[in-house]
Amino acid sequence: MSTLKINNLSKTYANGVKALDNVSLELENGMFGLLGPNGAGKSSLMRTLATLQEADSGTATLDDIDILNQPAELRKVLGYLPQEFGVYPRITAEQLLTHLAILKGITNKSERKELVNYLLDKVNLYEKRNKSVKGFSGGMKQRVGIAQALIGNPNLIIVDEPTAGLDPGERNRFYNLLADVGKDVIVILSTHIVDDVRELCTKMAIMNLGEIVYHGSPQSAIEDLNSKVFKKIVSRDELQNYANDYKVISNKMVGGQPLIHVFSEAHPQNGFEPVAPGLEDVFFSKINTSNVLV
Amino acid sequence: MFKTFFLSELKYTLKQPMVYIFIFILALMEFFATVSDNVQVGGAIGNVYRNSPYTITIHVTIFCIFSLLMAVAFFNNAALRDHNNEFNEILFTTPLSKPGYFFGRFFGALFVSTLPLLGVFIGMLLGTYMNSIFGWLDTSRYGDFYLETFINNYLLFILPNMFLAGTVIFAMANKWKSTVISFVGGLVIIVAYIVSGSLMSDVDNETIAGLTDIFGINTYAIETKYFTPAEKNTISPGFSGILFWNRLIWISVGLIILMISYFSFSFKKKNQKIKKEKVKASTGDTVFSLPSLNPSFSNATNWVQFKSFFYTNFLSIVKSVTFKILFLFCIIILVADLSGGFEYFGLQSYPLTYKLIDSIKDNTDIFIIIIVVFFSGELIWRDRDYKINEVIDATAHTSFISMAAKALSLVCIASILNIFFLFIGVVYQLLHGFTRIEIDVYLLDFFYDNLPLFIAFGGITILIQVLASNKYIGYFISILVLLVWEIVLSIMDLNSNMLDVGGGPSTYYSDMNRFGPGVKGALWFNLYWALFAVLGLLVAGALWNRGSKSSLLSRFKTARKEVPKSYRSVIVVALIAWLGVASFVYYNSQVLNPYRSSDTTEQLMAEFEKKYSKYKDAEHPKVTDAKYYIDIFPNKRDIHVKADIALTNESDVAIDSLHFFNGEGWDTKLNIPNAKSVYKDSIYLYTIYKLSPALQPGETIVVKLDNKYITNGFQNGTGNTMIVKNGTFFNNREILPTMGYNEAYEIGDKNTRKKYGLEPKERTPKLSTELNELHNRNYLNNGQSDFINVETVISTIKSQTAIAPGSLIKKWEENDRRYYHYKTDTPSLNFYAFMSADYEIKTRKWNGIDIEVYYDEKHPENVDMMLDAVERSLAYYTENFGPYFHKQCRIIEFPRYASFAQAFPGTMPYSEAIGFVINLEDETGNNVVDAVIAHEMGHQWWAHQVIGANMQGGTMMSESFSEYSSLMTIKNITENPMKMREFLKYDHDRYLRGRSGEREKELPLYKVEDQGYIHYGKGSLILYALQDYIGEDKVNLAMKNFLEEYRYKKPPYPTSLDFLRHLEPQVPDSLNYLINDWFKEITLYDNRLKEANYKTLDNGKYEVTLEIESSKIKSDSLGNETQTAINDWIDVGFFMDDAEERLYSQKRVKFNKEKSSITMQLDSLPVKAAIDPRHLLIDRVYNDNIRSISLEE
Repeated sequence: MSTLKINNLSKTYANGVKALDNVSLELENGMFGLLGPNGAGKSSLMRTLATLQEADSGTATLDDIDILNQPAELRKVLGYLPQEFGVYPRITAEQLLTHLAILKGITNKSERKELVNYLLDKVNLYEKRNKSVKGFSGGMKQRVGIAQALIGNPNLIIVDEPTAGLDPGERNRFYNLLADVGKDVIVILSTHIVDDVRELCTKMAIMNLGEIVYHGSPQSAIEDLNSKVFKKIVSRDELQNYANDYKVISNKMVGGQPLIHVFSEAHPQNGFEPVAPGLEDVFFSKINTSNVLV
Repeated sequence: MFKTFFLSELKYTLKQPMVYIFIFILALMEFFATVSDNVQVGGAIGNVYRNSPYTITIHVTIFCIFSLLMAVAFFNNAALRDHNNEFNEILFTTPLSKPGYFFGRFFGALFVSTLPLLGVFIGMLLGTYMNSIFGWLDTSRYGDFYLETFINNYLLFILPNMFLAGTVIFAMANKWKSTVISFVGGLVIIVAYIVSGSLMSDVDNETIAGLTDIFGINTYAIETKYFTPAEKNTISPGFSGILFWNRLIWISVGLIILMISYFSFSFKKKNQKIKKEKVKASTGDTVFSLPSLNPSFSNATNWVQFKSFFYTNFLSIVKSVTFKILFLFCIIILVADLSGGFEYFGLQSYPLTYKLIDSIKDNTDIFIIIIVVFFSGELIWRDRDYKINEVIDATAHTSFISMAAKALSLVCIASILNIFFLFIGVVYQLLHGFTRIEIDVYLLDFFYDNLPLFIAFGGITILIQVLASNKYIGYFISILVLLVWEIVLSIMDLNSNMLDVGGGPSTYYSDMNRFGPGVKGALWFNLYWALFAVLGLLVAGALWNRGSKSSLLSRFKTARKEVPKSYRSVIVVALIAWLGVASFVYYNSQVLNPYRSSDTTEQLMAEFEKKYSKYKDAEHPKVTDAKYYIDIFPNKRDIHVKADIALTNESDVAIDSLHFFNGEGWDTKLNIPNAKSVYKDSIYLYTIYKLSPALQPGETIVVKLDNKYITNGFQNGTGNTMIVKNGTFFNNREILPTMGYNEAYEIGDKNTRKKYGLEPKERTPKLSTELNELHNRNYLNNGQSDFINVETVISTIKSQTAIAPGSLIKKWEENDRRYYHYKTDTPSLNFYAFMSADYEIKTRKWNGIDIEVYYDEKHPENVDMMLDAVERSLAYYTENFGPYFHKQCRIIEFPRYASFAQAFPGTMPYSEAIGFVINLEDETGNNVVDAVIAHEMGHQWWAHQVIGANMQGGTMMSESFSEYSSLMTIKNITENPMKMREFLKYDHDRYLRGRSGEREKELPLYKVEDQGYIHYGKGSLILYALQDYIGEDKVNLAMKNFLEEYRYKKPPYPTSLDFLRHLEPQVPDSLNYLINDWFKEITLYDNRLKEANYKTLDNGKYEVTLEIESSKIKSDSLGNETQTAINDWIDVGFFMDDAEERLYSQKRVKFNKEKSSITMQLDSLPVKAAIDPRHLLIDRVYNDNIRSISLEE
């Protein structure tokens, strides 16, 4: 059982943006979902944990590895898929994975070959192993990325927006794969897609503006909102009035009319209907604290 | 529409800083080229104004090449801006006109790309103006500006060159839509320029070379090659001649390219090719299982990771298009250069391994450097460019491993390219049937010279790219460091190779002496740079931007925190090793063997003159006898000399002090009877001895000299090439201290003299008819001695032969060394060589004279022909000029550190580069190798029997006479007179080019001031023409009479006027004008055959009518010409063939008016007619002397 402890991690960029603001988390084996809108600081956190970025203050440890001060040690047990995963031109999937396997310490040739074949098969690219990766579609490239993140025996797997560009079938395969390995190691899955987290994770955190605004299990987060979310279809002209009067969590168009979800301890009446809260409501209620229309 | 796009292109570009930066850079460079002697663009300026039309044009043409890369930026931008901003899909769906868009953009970019070159004008004008205020350089070195110069330069060079380059780049950009390909296009153009330039090596190809040069740079050089300084100062390039045709041709080519590009240009996106996916049978149901993994991170892992990094990096270079294109270019350039062979005055040299090595270096080094610089950026920024950096960076590898792999792949690529070129070299040798292929030389040279350079450049460019915040800044700094830095060093007058990236002593290869004296130093310098590169890589590994991009400062902080102790200690060890090697190199190259920069030398020379010129007229005795005991140690490169030098007071006053100026690098001890040193200057090695009692007139003392030259360690440069392992060659001047103040050590250049506040100095004392002190000195020994006897005991190692002047009296072995005792048979000039090498010897006897050729075993090919040439010379000279007084004629090969032959009494050292390696298998006697031997043999009469006084005209009686003698031996065995015209062509060219590059003033032949182009080039032409006009026997008789009057005589020495005194009686009155025209003035002819028509006569004969224009031009010393009335005898003749080999019915005709018509009756019908068919007269444009004959209408 591994433990990842993050304590008071802060990072401010040169342009004044607070990417991480006193972030503290403690994770154990299993899938951990990190939700947040674009620019919330997810990638900054991920990169810091992946030893690719310095933090201004705070600590992060994986078991007895001090991530910020012993990056070389952490890299030995890390699997990482960054948000943007590119590939070299004129190199095949097999060559690329072999190269990366070597960099991850798989020095035994036959072991490496077996591993690469296994992973290629897992991500359904075995048939295309001798093709130049450059010609792959976005989804195929992403699968290569996933395969490389699983190389070695990582204790910590960090995947940043992994399902971008995958079709539903691929997504499922990927999740199965992740769930497979996620039993024994810590997997941090960063995404802005709420469904991903709901389907996969037992623990999650929501980030906004560099801060952790929620940390717990998806289920308890939803339970917290039970019978506190109400919906109504309103006309477009009235939207602003509702925003002023109620705590609007979200609004989306349904059949050409805005459907709003509001948060309220009591039934707001006025044509609102109670609705079973989803993780999406949790997400929006946590990040939309200033009550502006999103 | 055109206007809209044209103006928008201008507006856009002029808002960007780029164009202003370019203008500024060029203006700055030109400014310094205008106001500083240290900055040269396209060669030294000399006697021409620093702002002359010629100088401006040369600078503009050269900067045109520079600004090509700027043009690439502008044209590429114009073509691709919309595309790159992905605005094209919006723009191209609007109803815009294609020609308006295409040409508007193109001409907009064209106009902008000509702007940077205006910086040259700005820099020139500003420099001249500022100089007139601040007076950095003498204002007399600036002349007037001509508006025409600027306009014509813009219209002839700037605009057409940018247009041509622009069409290519614009077309390529539109076709491939890639900035990289556009830059490659820029390179293609430069390559095309270089290839067309390589055609210019021989005089015959000039017109072709002039027309094919895409930039007109060589064309302009050809057009102006015979320009005198006066013409260079006033004439702007014009719209005429081959320059005009060249420009027309290349503008048309540009137009065609532009049109092709226009018609293939379309707003529609091309359908992208879609490769059909091959359907492969599935491999079946292979079941894969996750193996149990044992990731390990040990030293072995590092090695495997290194290999994998290396492999991926290396592959990425090899597979890249840029690499393939650059590689192809290298091959094209190399093959183009090799296809011309190794030409030497119309002959071909054997394709020796070292020649191929030189050719490969000259042609491909710059490309290999470009490849290294380009791919250093590619490799370092590749991960980031392809967005895989975060994955790679998050894996457990040491950054240094990755850096080292990148550097190694650069080094390997460069090495493989280099070795591939060597392979081409070998193939070339084999194709030419040359089998002495020295693989070891190829490889050793690669190891000594190229590999270390690649390692240094690889390591340093990687470091630069790691430190730089983006790829382009990295490129910029790399170019600064690798190319510009060298220029900066030379401007700052710093010559240490420890500062010049990859620098070190040269290991210039010679067949005789292999890699020569620089090897030891080169190896140490190589180690110094290799360690520096390793250190650079270690630092790069520590500061590698791993993860998100961060500033250098924060990377330093990270490195301090993260770099492990073990890594730090490796850096420290590397640093200590580097510092150790650096101090050793420093000790050897700066402390043990100090050297001076050229500025310091200049300064010392100036001070020397100021300090000691007061002794200029001090009387000193003459050397009247010399005995040498010389021990040569070739392997240690040491020489020990003991000598007994007899000094006799031949003046009529008592001499009470002796002045000596010791040779640098020599440890000199003088033992002078009755003398003590009263003054010693250790900087200038100037010593004054007081003689007591004084040396009375007629008295002689014997000075004992003990002089040692000891080679210690290695030097910053190659070191002296005089004492080497095989091929030691030095003369008595090097081992004897100079007596008295020697004016030869004074600064000669008038501008440099001015800088140090020295009065202008006469290059050579004036020719004077009245006998004075100067007539007592010959120009070689300057009054230090006349004709003396020399005796030498010389020893060397057992495997070598040592040679000194005179007959060999005795030869023995002692202490495992060989000793030789030589003695001159007749008193000779005090100017002789001592040599030692492992020689083969071939001898022949001719009338009691031993003809000997001492040569290296690798060069036996031409030895027999050399013996023949010596024999022929002896035969002709003894018959026509008088006896030969030595008992031997020795031709002695020496290594190619210099390429000349020189005549000492009875011995003629001859460089391996010029005679021994020329392929004479198909030649029939009439060749330059023979000519050189005949020339040196000529000196045995002309210089060694009679020598001119040290004043103007002195070299005419040695150099011109020897050259003439040489021509006569060749003429004697040449059956067809037209062959001689081929031979004289080089002399014409030498003279006319030489006077064009004259830095001070041209003088008539009889006042020549040691000017090669006059005493060799013009002297031989004039004497040759003279013997044709007055008869060979007459000229020879005049020379013989002159010789007999002065042969081996004590002073006074003769002057050119003494020769003319002997010549005049031999010249018939009708030709008396020749002495004045040819010897005493600078005369050029401008003969033209305007028309040549024939008609057939009734008697079956042909009547040919020639319309001839003929004028005679007198030139002053700066090349200002005045036309004078012609009243001269000139040949008229015909050729029976197109190749002008069969001369027919030649006749000498008197021309006394500018336009003449000549009618002749001929038996056969010739093909061509000519005035001066054998090219005897000096005529700047000879082509127009010959015409094909046509039927009269």
